[in-house]
Amino acid sequence: MYRTGEPPGRSLAVSTAGLTKRFGDRTVVDNVALAIPSGSVCGFVGPNGAGKTTTIRMLLGLVRPTSGGGTILGGSLAEPATYLHKVGALIESPAFYPQLSGRDNLKALARLGRIPLTAVDPVLERSGLLARAADPYRSYSLGMKQRLGIAAAMLAGPELLILDEPTNGLDPAGIVEMRGLIKSFADDGITVLVSSHLISEIEQICDQVVMIRAGRLAYQGSVAELRATQQAEFLVAPEHDADRDLLAGLLRQAGCTVTPGKAGGLLLVEAPGADAAGLNRLSAQHGITLRQLGERTRSLERAFFALTGTKSADVPDGQEMGAIR
Amino acid sequence: MIWAAFTSEWTKLKRKTLSLSTFLGLAAAASLFVILMFSQASANGGIVTLHQLARPNGLVIGVARASMLLGVVAFGIAASQMASEYSLGTLRQLLVRQPRRASLLAGKMLGVITFLVLALCFAGVVAFVVALAAAHSRGVSTSAWFTGTGLGDLFRELGDLALATIGYSVLGLVIGLFVRSAVFAVIIGFAWLIAVENIITRIVPSIQQWLPGASITAVASGGVEGVGYAHGMILSVVYVVVAVAAAMAVFLRGDVTA
Repeated sequence: MYRTGEPPGRSLAVSTAGLTKRFGDRTVVDNVALAIPSGSVCGFVGPNGAGKTTTIRMLLGLVRPTSGGGTILGGSLAEPATYLHKVGALIESPAFYPQLSGRDNLKALARLGRIPLTAVDPVLERSGLLARAADPYRSYSLGMKQRLGIAAAMLAGPELLILDEPTNGLDPAGIVEMRGLIKSFADDGITVLVSSHLISEIEQICDQVVMIRAGRLAYQGSVAELRATQQAEFLVAPEHDADRDLLAGLLRQAGCTVTPGKAGGLLLVEAPGADAAGLNRLSAQHGITLRQLGERTRSLERAFFALTGTKSADVPDGQEMGAIR
Repeated sequence: MIWAAFTSEWTKLKRKTLSLSTFLGLAAAASLFVILMFSQASANGGIVTLHQLARPNGLVIGVARASMLLGVVAFGIAASQMASEYSLGTLRQLLVRQPRRASLLAGKMLGVITFLVLALCFAGVVAFVVALAAAHSRGVSTSAWFTGTGLGDLFRELGDLALATIGYSVLGLVIGLFVRSAVFAVIIGFAWLIAVENIITRIVPSIQQWLPGASITAVASGGVEGVGYAHGMILSVVYVVVAVAAAMAVFLRGDVTA
């Protein structure tokens, strides 16, 4: 389940070894070895307090690792100046000067990074803020602040974008918008590392995923590979509730794991190697007609819980069950 | 690198609300002291006599006496500028764009110092105009002010005030960096400069010549009772160098978690 090392045929944008950070006696990040392929959109997943932000801060030179090191875009982690000019970042909530306009905030950053001021308006336009660029930052909505943070991250024309919880506080429309922006960066060939404690969110935009828990790496690799490790699960309901126990017995005899659902005659069935047709056939052979038969999405959330052996309070219960397709 | 940080800092400093409040605030403070000086001056005594005001250095008396107030204002602005980078969280953005921390800190400090010195110069010009008007209203001759001696005194005093402003600004920036809260930085600075040093001096008068606020005030005023100009200058330089070294040490090594 745990995979490290350079994926075949792809260079690494981010590579770390033994990355560790302690604050006093507390180890926040513990021996983390990241391997993020260039050009990928990589999700960085873990519950709140798992060490995501500290790891990101180490990658950005804001926090000094206690031990370990690595390279980012070919530059040493110990010398952030060798690679940060090719990196854009949004760290936690966006932070700007409240009285300055969005444009002036970006100008201050452009001057600091010796980036031509002509780069400011194009990134404002791309993030949909050009019309409000002259307004003070303090007058922006949360979504606009987040988009200005993205614009600031794009200012240097980065090869690597590091976005820490970019959808935090956004309404559903804002989340969809942010998702679209991130996908557009990937289309431009930019490597994106996006952290979130909402695994379902990551699942929709990432091709790679890094899972971290209590400061330790739980998994890294492709989303597809991780999803494939998940056993198929079905939601099955007989036409007549009275047939539920009979059906459950038949399924158990066939090697399935069956958990009664809360509603009606619903059964949650883990069926290794089986498909929906097989379950339907088995039921029909014993005279049971099904009124519901659906395969649950093999979600990363389930994989995450399986890998870490816990159920995170950060993942809403409603999302945990995934969707029936 | 330092120039980039300097110009970036100025992008922030030149915003209308901050520049207007700083320039007009310092000008108002200096002018207030000049007006009080001329209004309270009498022929025979008091704080200052009309005869003293008519001397070549008469113009600078009021401004020199306002030096402590000007210094406290400069300290507060510098402290809040540095501390707010932590409290707003903007420091992390700045460090991603400029990871060479020494250059960033040097550029920021130079930006704030030049901003405050310019504001002080503006305050000096306004106070000069106000002094001319006040002298005219009190019938004080200003002809001696424009002699070589008078203009020499004026520029020397402005130079001393500028040096003192640099000292107050650096201390403010360093306190802001250590405290990381604009409000607490300003409170600590004001309390120290206005109250604590006075109390210490009253209890142990001999210690006054070793205090940072008294030393910088001595520079601003060309020397004060108990602290000579040269002594104040040397000690101020020592305080500034030590403060900058401590700030650099903390800033270069410290984790940015704000």
